Amino acid sequence: MFMPEPYQIHQRLDALADCPHWQRLTEGYRNMQLIRTFDKKAVNLQRTGQLGTYASCLGAEAIATAGGMALAREDYFVPYYRDHATQYLRGVPLYQILQYWGGDERGNAFPADTPASRDLPNCVPIATQLPQAAGIATKAKLTHEHAAVLATCGDGATSRGDFYETLNVAGVWQLPLVVMVNNNQWAISVPGQLQTASRSIAHKAEAAGIEGIRVDGNDLPALLEVLDYALDKARHGKGATLVEAISYRLSDHTTADDASRYRKASELHTAWQHEPIARLRQALVNARQWDAEQETLWQQHCRDVVDDAVKTYLEHPPQMPADMLDHLYATLPASLGRQRQTLSRQQGDPHA
Amino acid sequence: MPYFTLPDLGEGLQEAEIVEWHVNEGDSVKVDDLLLSVETAKAIVDIPSPRDGIIGSLFVRNGDLIHTGEPLLAFAGDEGTGSQTVVGNLESQDDSDNQDHFVIGAVTEGHHFGGATPAIRALAQHLGVNLEQLRGSGPNGSITFEDVQQNANLKHSHGDSTPLKGVARSMAKTMASAGQQVVPVSLFDQTSIRHWAAHTDITLRLIQAIVAGCQAEPALNAWFDGNTLSMRVVEKIDLGIAVDTPDGLFVPVLRDVGNRKPDDLREGLDRLRHDVRNRKIPAKELQGATLTLSNFGTLGGRFATPVVVPPQVAIVGAGKRFIQPGINNGALFEDVQLPLSLTFDHRALNGGQAARFLAALLADLSAPPM
Amino acid sequence: MHNAQQRPQHALPLNLVEAINRALFQAMSDDHRVVLLGEDIATNGGVFRATEGLKAHFGFRRVMDTPLAENLIAGLSVGMASQGLKPVAEIQFMGFIYAALEQLISHAARLRHRTRGRLSCPLVIRAPFGGGIHAPEHHSESTEALFAHVPGLRVVIPSSPARAYGLLRAAISCPDPVLFLEPKRLYRLQRLPVDLDDVPLPLDRCFTLRPGEDITLVSWGAMIHETLAAADHLAQAGIKAEVIDVATLNPLDRDTLVASVSKTGRAVIVHEAPFTGGFGAEIAATLASDALMQLRAPVTRVTGYDTPMPYFAMEREYMPSVERIVEAAKQQMEY
Repeated sequence: MFMPEPYQIHQRLDALADCPHWQRLTEGYRNMQLIRTFDKKAVNLQRTGQLGTYASCLGAEAIATAGGMALAREDYFVPYYRDHATQYLRGVPLYQILQYWGGDERGNAFPADTPASRDLPNCVPIATQLPQAAGIATKAKLTHEHAAVLATCGDGATSRGDFYETLNVAGVWQLPLVVMVNNNQWAISVPGQLQTASRSIAHKAEAAGIEGIRVDGNDLPALLEVLDYALDKARHGKGATLVEAISYRLSDHTTADDASRYRKASELHTAWQHEPIARLRQALVNARQWDAEQETLWQQHCRDVVDDAVKTYLEHPPQMPADMLDHLYATLPASLGRQRQTLSRQQGDPHA
Repeated sequence: MPYFTLPDLGEGLQEAEIVEWHVNEGDSVKVDDLLLSVETAKAIVDIPSPRDGIIGSLFVRNGDLIHTGEPLLAFAGDEGTGSQTVVGNLESQDDSDNQDHFVIGAVTEGHHFGGATPAIRALAQHLGVNLEQLRGSGPNGSITFEDVQQNANLKHSHGDSTPLKGVARSMAKTMASAGQQVVPVSLFDQTSIRHWAAHTDITLRLIQAIVAGCQAEPALNAWFDGNTLSMRVVEKIDLGIAVDTPDGLFVPVLRDVGNRKPDDLREGLDRLRHDVRNRKIPAKELQGATLTLSNFGTLGGRFATPVVVPPQVAIVGAGKRFIQPGINNGALFEDVQLPLSLTFDHRALNGGQAARFLAALLADLSAPPM
Repeated sequence: MHNAQQRPQHALPLNLVEAINRALFQAMSDDHRVVLLGEDIATNGGVFRATEGLKAHFGFRRVMDTPLAENLIAGLSVGMASQGLKPVAEIQFMGFIYAALEQLISHAARLRHRTRGRLSCPLVIRAPFGGGIHAPEHHSESTEALFAHVPGLRVVIPSSPARAYGLLRAAISCPDPVLFLEPKRLYRLQRLPVDLDDVPLPLDRCFTLRPGEDITLVSWGAMIHETLAAADHLAQAGIKAEVIDVATLNPLDRDTLVASVSKTGRAVIVHEAPFTGGFGAEIAATLASDALMQLRAPVTRVTGYDTPMPYFAMEREYMPSVERIVEAAKQQMEY
């Protein structure tokens, strides 16, 4: 077991003196900053009509970054839709993430030579990615891989059958699976108190007979410790873990939501006091691992990287209409030939 | 499974060869009775029966290769295992039909119907229009409302149109085909037959005259091939005789007219006419003419341009004899003239040949009576 | 009794469920990536014995009994297939497949499409379907039309042991997701020859079971049995009926259907499923648009009524009978 006292919320930022991995934490800080810069830009793109409805990860940077850093190349990642940081760290270019939210399927065609090449894409039907993650874990186990599967979801997802079915099979089949719940307290407008009567989300692991761990979702070093433990445990065939990372959704649910309709400004303001990037920066500065000059340089670097990604995204030529049919089956059946011709004619497709 | 399958013989051996069956279909066996011997890579193994029963079907023969898990035999009475389900009853029945033939895709040797929507078919039926006679002016040659309407109007104002059948249809096709190939030229002439006796057999005299014509110009009795541009001049004269009947025009063939006696010819003629009228003429009697005579004068008309039917190269037409004034040494007399028409195919014959034939024919007709 | 001497080398008389079993056995022998999962399929061999003997032969790692959760079974299959395994999952009865609809429609059918080919989902979901076996409620469903409507998901329905064998082998090899619906009424009805060495059948073609010139009868699944019987009756009345087994509802082989009805000019479509929105409607619409010029009579459908499958006491009244099919065909001949 990870904790002597199960279900206690694991923290580390307040007691970092013993922690030797400054390089890793500094790298983590830089990653979080980059993603926040990207995230702000993405919201702006949506507000200026250049991106579709977008799910911001404001406040979730530590959780997704920890995931991306703890996963090994041969592990698998199964996201929900707020894991842009993890996708990026697994090798998905930022412009490709924009493509997904820009309504272009090529955003899911992750590059072949990256850890993301086998990962599942974002999942919109809530929690349905979880049984699939269990399937991937089953495959890894059947083929004797030294690999783990990390699947993420939100607190709302933990009410769904898929969630329970996944934990249950992960327990009874002893799957190499880690389910990490980003408990950001809100499922759109439904707060955690209305989502479940369970003592915590991690407690739901009891029903499946697996280990449940609670961790501060705004505490990057704590998250890394928990995930290192859980993923390693999975890779060694010691079974599944449910991780509940407690955070706060600092943004609206998506750009199509207005959270001010259902939550108090004062509560949001309080939450901002615990946000993960400021906390980690403070700890790094205190330990003289980071300074203002590095901060300025890095912020500029982040802007450059993001601007570059936006440019690539905006300048990408659009897909051809016939692409709609070309990846539906391995080989297009003859009966769809007529439809493909019609689609091809629609935009002067050279493939027609 | 109702089958007894090859058991796992151990040691990773996956296949075996059937060496010998020790039972036959229908035999009664008890558990542990020896069923068969198989040979693996390592040894010959005897396989005992797993149960009591009667041997139903054997699925492999001596010498066959079989793999672990594949069926060896079925015990009789194992059909109809409807009890093996958690819900419901699964029926089984005797194999009344042992076959299961199927073809991937369509089987399309049948004919296609014409193109018309059901609405148009219904309209056509209502108006009494036969769709098969229409040429469609719609997309892909389909028949439109207007096509049907026009045809119905035509029927109303000008009466019904019926498709040609049988002999008439055949004639239409033959003439159309001839018209597309032959280059016809016609010569006309007439000759006095005042000197003929009463009740002269005109057809016989015409036949004799034609024989005379062929002697003078054999080329008129020939077959011409318009594709290869070759001529076959035939010695035997098989003369087509046009016969008019209520059912239409027939042209039976009188064979070898050049070598037959008059009585024989007359008998042959009569028999042909009789058979035609009674519709008993066999098809081959209507084929193979080398030259044709159309004695339309029995009905009426003087001169005509009868149609040459390939592969023939000529046709002789005889019209109705008529009276015209004649002069002999300044004195008027009542003359009887027989009008004659000769059409020839100018691809095969020239005017000279035709003229000489006609002259010889006329000369024979003007010869003194027989 | 069958004379072993006269049969071709590898043709066995098998009934439909035995053919399924053989196909699974063969597929698993040929490709180690093929794994089976479902409720009661391992030790018990499946409630219809379709997976009998397979766990004993291939081991528990390749023939897995799952917890009771159809949604999970489908989700596991999607996950496994996305990473290169070839899962063949059994849903115990079509009546219980609805919990898996989301995984099949939102994910299985779309995975290749939405990743532009990076990932794919070569799974097979097998389910017994259809009525006529006096089963309790929910065990006689015939809702194939729901799935045929999903682009990217093949829907395949055999109607004989040989076609079950050939189509299932093809479905397992197919790189696309396939829903394989097994007409349970035919599971043990007849033993017919199955050539185990035959090439797999195509998954986008109809089969002509019997050629004819006067009328086309179109069906699939267990109703093929009644349709062939109806064709026999019609033959005695001098009406030569062509019988087409659709076999794969999606992608639909419109060309074969249109060619047949262009030849005969008449079509009766037969299915167990309810009338409204049944898959017969898709075929009727295809014939109306592509064979209109050759139609001599309206295209009619002989189907189940627009009600849930009744309890088995009234099953017989609900299912299309040979008489109803013959009647519909004869009416068409009057045009």
